[in-house]
Amino acid sequence: MKQTVYLMAINEALEEEIKRDEKVFIIGENVQQGTFGVTSGLVQKFGTERVMDTPLAETAVAGAAIGAAMAGFRPVADMMFADFIYIAGDEIMLKAAKWHFMHGGKVNVPVVIMAAMGGGMKIGAEHSMCPEALIMHTPGLKLAVPSTPYDAKGLLKTAIRDNNPVIFFYNKGLLGLPGEIPEEEYLIPFGQADIKREGSDVTVVAISRMVHMALEVAEKLKDKVSVEVVDPRTLEPLDIDTIVESVKKTGRVVIVDEDNRRCGVTAEISAQIFETAFDYLDAPVQRVAAADMPIAAGFLEDYVLPQPKDIEDAIERVMA
Amino acid sequence: MKLEKDQLVKFYSLMVRTRKLDNLMIEALNSGRMAGFYHAGPGEEAVGIGACTFNMRDDDYLYPHHRSHAIGFTLARGISPKGWVCRHFDKNPGEVEGPTAEERGIFGISGTIGGGFPLSLGWGITAKKNGKNQAVLSFFGDGASGRGTLHESMNMAAIWKLPIVWICENNQFGQFMPIKDAFAREDIADIAAGYNMPSAVVDGQDVLAVHEAVEVAVQKARAGDGPSLIECKTYRMRGHAEGVPDVDHVDPRSEKDKEAWRKRDPIVLFKENLIKQRILTAEEVSKIDKEADDEVAELDKYQQECPVMVPSDASILDVFLYAE
Amino acid sequence: MKLEKDDLILLYRNMVRTRKLDELTIKGLQEGKVLSFYHSGQGSEGLAVGSAACLRKDDYLWGHHRGHGIGYLIGKGLDGKAFLAEHYGKVTGSCLGISGFHFAEPEYGALGAAGTIGSQFPISLGWGLAAKKTGKQQVVLACFGDGGSNRGTLHEAFNLAAVWKLPIVWLCDNNGMAQYTPIKDTYPKDDIADLAGGYNMPGVVVDGMDIMAVYEAVEAAVDRARAGGGPSLIEAKTARYRSHSEGSPDVSHTVTRSEAEIAELKKRDPIETFKIKLLKQGVLTEEMVDQINKEADEEIIETEKFSLDSPPPEPSILNKLIYAE
Ligand SMILES: Cc1ncc(C[n+]2csc(CCOP(=O)(O)OP(=O)(O)O)c2C)c(N)n1
Ligand SMILES: Cc1ncc(C[n+]2csc(CCOP(=O)(O)OP(=O)(O)O)c2C)c(N)n1
Ligand SMILES: [Mg+2]
Repeated sequence: MKQTVYLMAINEALEEEIKRDEKVFIIGENVQQGTFGVTSGLVQKFGTERVMDTPLAETAVAGAAIGAAMAGFRPVADMMFADFIYIAGDEIMLKAAKWHFMHGGKVNVPVVIMAAMGGGMKIGAEHSMCPEALIMHTPGLKLAVPSTPYDAKGLLKTAIRDNNPVIFFYNKGLLGLPGEIPEEEYLIPFGQADIKREGSDVTVVAISRMVHMALEVAEKLKDKVSVEVVDPRTLEPLDIDTIVESVKKTGRVVIVDEDNRRCGVTAEISAQIFETAFDYLDAPVQRVAAADMPIAAGFLEDYVLPQPKDIEDAIERVMA
Repeated sequence: MKLEKDQLVKFYSLMVRTRKLDNLMIEALNSGRMAGFYHAGPGEEAVGIGACTFNMRDDDYLYPHHRSHAIGFTLARGISPKGWVCRHFDKNPGEVEGPTAEERGIFGISGTIGGGFPLSLGWGITAKKNGKNQAVLSFFGDGASGRGTLHESMNMAAIWKLPIVWICENNQFGQFMPIKDAFAREDIADIAAGYNMPSAVVDGQDVLAVHEAVEVAVQKARAGDGPSLIECKTYRMRGHAEGVPDVDHVDPRSEKDKEAWRKRDPIVLFKENLIKQRILTAEEVSKIDKEADDEVAELDKYQQECPVMVPSDASILDVFLYAE
Repeated sequence: MKLEKDDLILLYRNMVRTRKLDELTIKGLQEGKVLSFYHSGQGSEGLAVGSAACLRKDDYLWGHHRGHGIGYLIGKGLDGKAFLAEHYGKVTGSCLGISGFHFAEPEYGALGAAGTIGSQFPISLGWGLAAKKTGKQQVVLACFGDGGSNRGTLHEAFNLAAVWKLPIVWLCDNNGMAQYTPIKDTYPKDDIADLAGGYNMPGVVVDGMDIMAVYEAVEAAVDRARAGGGPSLIEAKTARYRSHSEGSPDVSHTVTRSEAEIAELKKRDPIETFKIKLLKQGVLTEEMVDQINKEADEEIIETEKFSLDSPPPEPSILNKLIYAE
C-alpha cells in the first residue's frame, strides 16, 4: 500500500487508463491545468490530443464526449462543477442515458462525465450542489460517488471501462483527504457497498463527504452507541442488499446525504428499506440531508447542509 | 454628446475608487482576513465604467460582468459599496442608504457563465413591452462567448429588435483558456453579422472610446432600432481568481504581454490625458486619489464594525425561498 | 468526381424510392400501422439523396428528420425495410421497434437520431472529433433544419468544429418552416449560411430542389473536410409540401398555407425537374422512367409485406437494453 490523497488517486486512475487504452481522452474546460487538480499534470505526459482544453461551452463539451463515445472512444468529460451538468441536460439525460436503449442496443455510450460536487467551499447556490438524485432518477446512467482515495481510484477505473455512461462525482470537500491505495492495479466493481465502520446498534448509510461526517459522529458516540457506517459507493447500481443486511442486524437506520431531502437519495434508500426490511425496523428510518432550499454562500452554508449535530440528533431519535 | 468637465472627473474618480476597492479585496484575501474567492479586475475598469456611467437611465437594466465582482458597475450606478464590501467579509451591513441594486436594474450575476444572455433577453422584452425607451446593457466575457445561450439570445434580440446592447469585456482569457484557442475568429464582434446586428470593436483601455461606442448603441436601442454588439479589448492583469495559478493552459502567462498592457493602464492613460488637456491639475488628481483611499479605509472600518453573519441569522433564508 | 450516366440514374432512382417510401409511410400512419409520428420528407428528396451520395459508407451521418432521414440512408445504400418495420413497431426494425422514429443504423454511420431538435450539433461534433482522432479521413454529414438553427447548441458546435478544424459538413435543410413557424420570423437574415462567417467557415446557399447543385456543393465541402480543411456550412433552400407532421394542421403561425402556395413549391419538385433534365440529356428515356417506377412500386409492396409479417418485440427485451454489457 502507498499513501496518497483523494485528488491524486483520481489523477492516477486517469493516467493509468489513458496509458492502457488509446481510446481514452479527457475533455473539458481548463482540464490541462485542472481547476480542482484531478486532471493536472496529465497534458505534460500525454499531450493536448489526450487532454483537451475546450472553450466555455458545456453542452458542446458533454455532447462531444458523448458523440465520440458512440463513435468508438472512451472520453472522460470534466464538467468542473456538478451544478453545470444542468447546462448539458439534453446531452447527458436524454442522449447518453437513452440512446443505447432507444436504439435497440445498437449504440453504446461508454462515456464518463465527471464533476466536482458538494459544499464546504461556501461558494453558493450554483457551485455547491450534489445533484445525485437527478442522475439516480435517470435510467441509463450509472453514478459513482467515492468517499475515499481508494474508492475514487478503483471506481473511476471501472467507470472508464464500463460500456455505459457513468457519472462520477468527486467531492470538493475531500480533495485533500489522505488515504492508502495498493501499489498494484485494482478495480472496484459497481454496486458493492462498503462497510466503513462496523457496529451493532444503528446503521448509518452515508454518501461521499457525509461518510466522514458519519464516522466522526460514530467515534464521538462510541461509548454510548455502536454505529455501523455503510457507504454505497455507487448509487446506480445501488447495493441495497448490504444496506438491508446491516439494518437487519441493527434494526435502526439513519441515512445521510448532501443532496436535497425532498425526492433525494435519502428518500429513495429509505423507501427501499421500508419496502424490503420493514419487519426488522425498531424505529422509523431517519434522514439527514440538505434543507430544501438553494445552498447559501458564506457562513449560512452550514445552515443548509447537513452538520455532525444533525447526524447525532438523528441517531438519538432512532435510539429513543 | 460632449462630456462636461465634471463628467470626465467622475470617470476618473470612479475608476480610481474601483481600483482601490479591488486592491482592498486582494489584500484582505491574501492576508487571510477574508475567506472565499475573489476575481480581481485591475486594468479593466474603463469597460464597465465607460459604458454605464453616463449612458444609462435609472430605470435601465444591467447585467454586469463578474470581474472585480462588479464593483465598478455598482459605483457607476450610484449604489453604495457598503453592501458589496460587507458581503465579502460575511458581514451584515444593516440598512444601507441610497438605491439598491434592484432599483438600478441589476438583478444579480449568474453563477453559471453565459446565464446572463437569456436573462437579459427577458429584460429586453420587458423594456420593449414597457414602451418607455428603457435599454438593457448586458455584459459578458470572452469566455462566455462560447456558450450557446449567446446564439439563442442574440438571435431573438435581433428578430424582435430589442433594446439590448451586448458588451463583451474581452480580457483575452477565460480562466486558463486564451481566447485565441477558444474562438474561431479574432474578433468576437464578428458574430454580430450573422444576426444583422451592428457591431464595433473598441479599445477597452480608453474610457471615452467605450463611452462613445456604447452611447451610439444605446441611442439606437432607445430609438427602437434593435440590439448592437460592442467588443471592448482589454486584458486580465491578474490570475483568474486570487490564489489560483496564472497560466495560459498550463504555462505561466507571458510577462511581455502583461507589461505591454500595463503600459496601457486605463487609469494612468486617462489621468495623463486629463492633465495634458488641463482639465485637472496634478494636485487635483492627488486629491481624488486621496479621497478614494479615505473612502476605502472607512469602508473597511465600517465592515469591521458590522456584525458577522452567523447561522443564527439563518432564519432569513426561509424567507428568501419563495416570494410572497 | 464527375458523375457517370449510371450514377445519375441511381440518383434519380433513389429519389423515386424515397418518395414512394414516404407515401407508404403516410399510408401506414393513416391505416394505424405506423405507431408514432411521421414527418413527411416530400420536397427534400434531392437534398437527402444528393448529399448522401457524396459519402463513404464509413462516414458519419445525422440525416435531417424530414422523412425521418431515410432519403439520406437510401442515398447511402440502405433499403427501406428496417425503416418501415421500425415505424410499425416490429422487432425487425432498425432498433427492434422501440425507437419510435428516432432510429439508428450504425453500419451506415448513422449512430442515432434524437427527439430534441438541435442535439445534432454537439453530438455530431463528437463524431467529428472521433473521425479526426481516428485518422481515416472519415467525414460527418450533420443535417439540421431552419428551426434547428435557432438552438444555442449550433453556436457551441460551430465554434468548436471551426477551432478544432473537424471534418464536418453542416447541412441546413431550410424549408422555410419550423412546425408552424416561418423562418422569416425566427432569423433576422435571408440566409442562414451567413452564420458561417462568424466562425471563419465557408457558408454557401444552394437550391436544395436541384439534386446536382446539392451534390456539387456537398462534394466540395466533403472533399475539403477529408483533406483536413475543416468544417463548412451549406444551406439548401427546400420546400415542405405537407404539414409538419401527418395529421397536424398545415399552418404558418395560425394561417393555413394555401393550395396555391404549395402548388408553387411543387413546381420546383426535385424528382420531376431532374427527370426532365435527364430525359432531355438522353440519360433517361420514358421507358426507363416507367421501369424505375415499377421497380420502386414492387419494392414498396415487399417492404410493406416484410413489416406486416414481422412480429412485435417481446417486453422481456426491455430490461436488457437499459445498460450495455
Ligand atoms: C457555465 C459555467 N462554466 C464555467 C464556469 C467557471 N468559470 C467561471 S468564470 C470563468 C471564465 C470566464 O471567462 P470570461 O467570460 O472571459 O470572463 P473573465 O473571467 O475573463 O472576466 C469560468 C470558466 C462557470 N462559472 N459557469
Ligand atoms: C428541442 C426541441 N424543440 C422542439 C421540438 C418540436 N419540433 C420537432 S420538429 C420541429 C420543427 C423543426 O423545424 P426545422 O428544424 O426547420 O425542421 P423541419 O421540421 O422544418 O424540417 C419542432 C418545433 C423538438 N422535437 N425538440
Ligand atoms: Mg475573459
